[in-house]
Amino acid sequence: MKKLILCLSVLMSTFVSAQTELPNMTLKNLDGKDIKLQDISAGDKLVVVSLWATWCVPCKNELDAINDVYSDWQKNTGVTLYAITTDDARTVNRVKPMVNGKGWEYEILYDTNNDLKRALGAATIPLTLIVKNNKILYRHSGYTPGAEDELFAKLQEFSK
Amino acid sequence: MKIKLALWFLVVAVSASVVAQDFGNFNGGFESNSQWLRPDEGMNFVEPDDPFRSNNYFTLNYNYGKFSAGVQFESYLPQPLLGYSPDLDGNKIATYYLNYKDTMLDITAGYFYDQFGSGLILRTWEDRQLGINNSLRGARVKFTPTNYLDITGLFGEQRVGFELSEGVVGGIDANLSLDEWISSEDLSIRLGGSYVARYQDNLANQNIPTTVNAFSGRADITYKNVFASFEAIHKDEDALVNESVITNNDEIYRGSALLLNIGYAQSGFGINAALRRLENFAFYSDRFAEGNQYNQQIINYVPTLTKQHDYMLSNIYVYNAQPRLILQPIQQQSGEMGTQMDAFYSFKKESFLGGKYGTKIDFNFSYWSGLEAEYDVANNAYKSEFIGKGDRYFREVSLEIRKRWTENLSGIYLFSDLIIDKGITDGSPLGFYDIKAQVAVAEHTYKLGGGRSVRLELQHLWTQQDKKNWAAALVEYNFSPRLGIYAGNSWNYGNDVKDIHYYNFGGSYTKGNARLALNYGRQRGGLLCVGGVCRFVPENTGFSANLAVNF
Repeated sequence: MKKLILCLSVLMSTFVSAQTELPNMTLKNLDGKDIKLQDISAGDKLVVVSLWATWCVPCKNELDAINDVYSDWQKNTGVTLYAITTDDARTVNRVKPMVNGKGWEYEILYDTNNDLKRALGAATIPLTLIVKNNKILYRHSGYTPGAEDELFAKLQEFSK
Repeated sequence: MKIKLALWFLVVAVSASVVAQDFGNFNGGFESNSQWLRPDEGMNFVEPDDPFRSNNYFTLNYNYGKFSAGVQFESYLPQPLLGYSPDLDGNKIATYYLNYKDTMLDITAGYFYDQFGSGLILRTWEDRQLGINNSLRGARVKFTPTNYLDITGLFGEQRVGFELSEGVVGGIDANLSLDEWISSEDLSIRLGGSYVARYQDNLANQNIPTTVNAFSGRADITYKNVFASFEAIHKDEDALVNESVITNNDEIYRGSALLLNIGYAQSGFGINAALRRLENFAFYSDRFAEGNQYNQQIINYVPTLTKQHDYMLSNIYVYNAQPRLILQPIQQQSGEMGTQMDAFYSFKKESFLGGKYGTKIDFNFSYWSGLEAEYDVANNAYKSEFIGKGDRYFREVSLEIRKRWTENLSGIYLFSDLIIDKGITDGSPLGFYDIKAQVAVAEHTYKLGGGRSVRLELQHLWTQQDKKNWAAALVEYNFSPRLGIYAGNSWNYGNDVKDIHYYNFGGSYTKGNARLALNYGRQRGGLLCVGGVCRFVPENTGFSANLAVNF
C-alpha cells in the first residue's frame, strides 16, 4: 500500500513534463513502404494520429465519422490523418479490405506488434493525437459521437 | 535493492524532467486496474481471502539521441486480479532495457518485444488485460543494411511472473524485398525466413531432445488489387506434456503450421480469406508449461482466426485455437484446420440500398475443425491426413450492417449463427456435443449536440443447449467527449437451474493524458478473449476501477 502511494505521489510530480514527441519509429504503410514517424509532421505539417483496430467499434465509429467530413477538414486546416492500426497477426489481414470497403482516404500505417501503442502508453484505443513538427499538441482517448467536432476545433486552433 | 534502484531512477526522472531539453526526455505511464470483490448470494459468490486486489504498472522511458532506456515496475497488491497467474506476486521491477538505434543498427539489451513474420513462429508481446507478458530477456540486434533487407538475431530467456523461464530461446529472422529488381509498379514480392530454437535441459532423459528447432519460410505478394501471403513452419520433434508431466512414454512428435491468406481490395469493396492448418504446434519456453491456463511462457502467437465480437452476448460462445497434440484415453486431438472469410462492402450514398448517407456491410464466415486422424493411444501413435474431414469444432456466419439514418441517428445491426463444440467452451473432451446458437444485436446512437450523445444496445441469444437463452441491453449516456456513464444487464433465462441477471453500471472520465473508469456489477464467468487469445475469467461480483495516466 505504501508503495502504491509512493508511486502515485511521484506520478503527481511528473505532471511537470508530459510526453511531447512521437517516438522514433518506422512503420510500414499499405503499400509496404517505410514511413518514419518523425517525418510525417515535419515542416509545420498538421497531422492527426489515430490508433485503431478492425475489431474496435468506437475506433471505426470515429474514423467513419471523420471520413464524412475529411475533405472539408483538409481544405480548412490542411490536416493529414494517419490511421495507425494496432491489429496484430490475428486481424491484420482484414485491414486492407476493410479500409477499401469503407472507402477511407487516410494514410494507413501498421503497428502490428504494438510497439507504437506500447511506446505511447496507450492502455485503450482509440487514441487520438494532434501532432505538428513532431510535437504532440493534443491527446484524447476514447471516442463518443460528436467528439470529432472538438477535434476539428482544436485543428483549426493549431493550424494558425 | 532493486526497489531502491527504481526509486532512485524515479527521483532522477522527476528532477531531470524539469530541464528535459538538454538532457534528453522522459516519458512513461501509470496504469492501475483494481477490483473489490463483494459477496453475492444470488450468484453463490463468496468473498475470497483478499477481496481487494490490484494490478499496477509503472513505466518509465528515457530517450537521449540514439539511446533509450526504460524500466517497468509492476505491483500486484495484495494479490493479482482474479483469473491472473499466481506467479505475478509482489512488487518488483518487471522489465528493463537499454537500446541504441540508428539507420542501420538497432541493438537492445534487456527485455524486448519482437515478432517474426506473422508471429506463428515467434512473438513476444504484452497484453495487460490478458495477463500476458512473454518478453525475452537477453539481447537483440536488428541490422538493416539496405532498404530491401533486414536481419534480426536474438536470444534470451522468457519472462515468467517476475522470474525467467527454464528454457533459452534463440532466433534469426531475415526479410528481403524483391521490389528493387521488379520494374513493374503493380507487383511487389517480399520473402522471409526464420529460425527459432529452444534449448532446455532434458534432465538426463536421453529420449527428450535438449534443443527443439523450428524453421519458417514465407512470401508476400501484392499485384494491383490482389494480395496473398503464405507461411510454412516446421517444428522438430519434442515430447508431449500435459499438466506438467511428460506423457506418452517419452515419445517425440514433430509439428507443422501452414498459413495462407488471399485478398482483393478496391474502393468500396474488400474481401479476404485465410486458411490455416496446425499440427502439434504448441511451442513453449518451458516444455513443462504446455497447456497452462494462464497463457504463460508461449514462444509464438497462435491466434484464433474468427471474428472478434464487441457485444456481451456475442462473446459467450467464442472459439479458442487448438494447436496441441493430445493422445490420451479420454481425449485425442492433433491440431486444427480451417478458414475464415471476410467481405466488406459500402453501398454508395444516394443509391437504393445506400440511402442518404450510405450503408456499410461486413460479412464473416469461419469454420474450424480438428485434423482428420487415426489415433492409436496404446502405441502412442497417430496418423493424420493433410486435408480431410475432422471433427467440426466451430462454424460461424455473421452479417453486420452499419447505417446512418439521419444526421444524428446511426445504427449497427449484427446477426450471427454459430455452432460450437461444447468442449471448446468448458475444456471438456472435444467431439461429443455441439451447441447451436443465434445472436442478434441492434445498436443505435443518437447525437444530441454539444458533444452529448446517447447509445442503446439490444441483444438476444437463442440456443436450446447449454444455459439456454440470453437477453441483454446496455444504455450509455455521454455528457461530453470526456464524461460518460452506462448501465447494462445480461439476463440468462429459460434454463433448468436458475435465471440470473448480470447487471453492470459505471462510467468513465477522460481528459488529455488521463483516463479513469469505474464499474460495479456481476461478471459472467467464461472466456475473456482479447485479440484472439483467451483467458478464463471466473464469475465474480464487485467494484472495479481502471486508471491510466501518461506523462
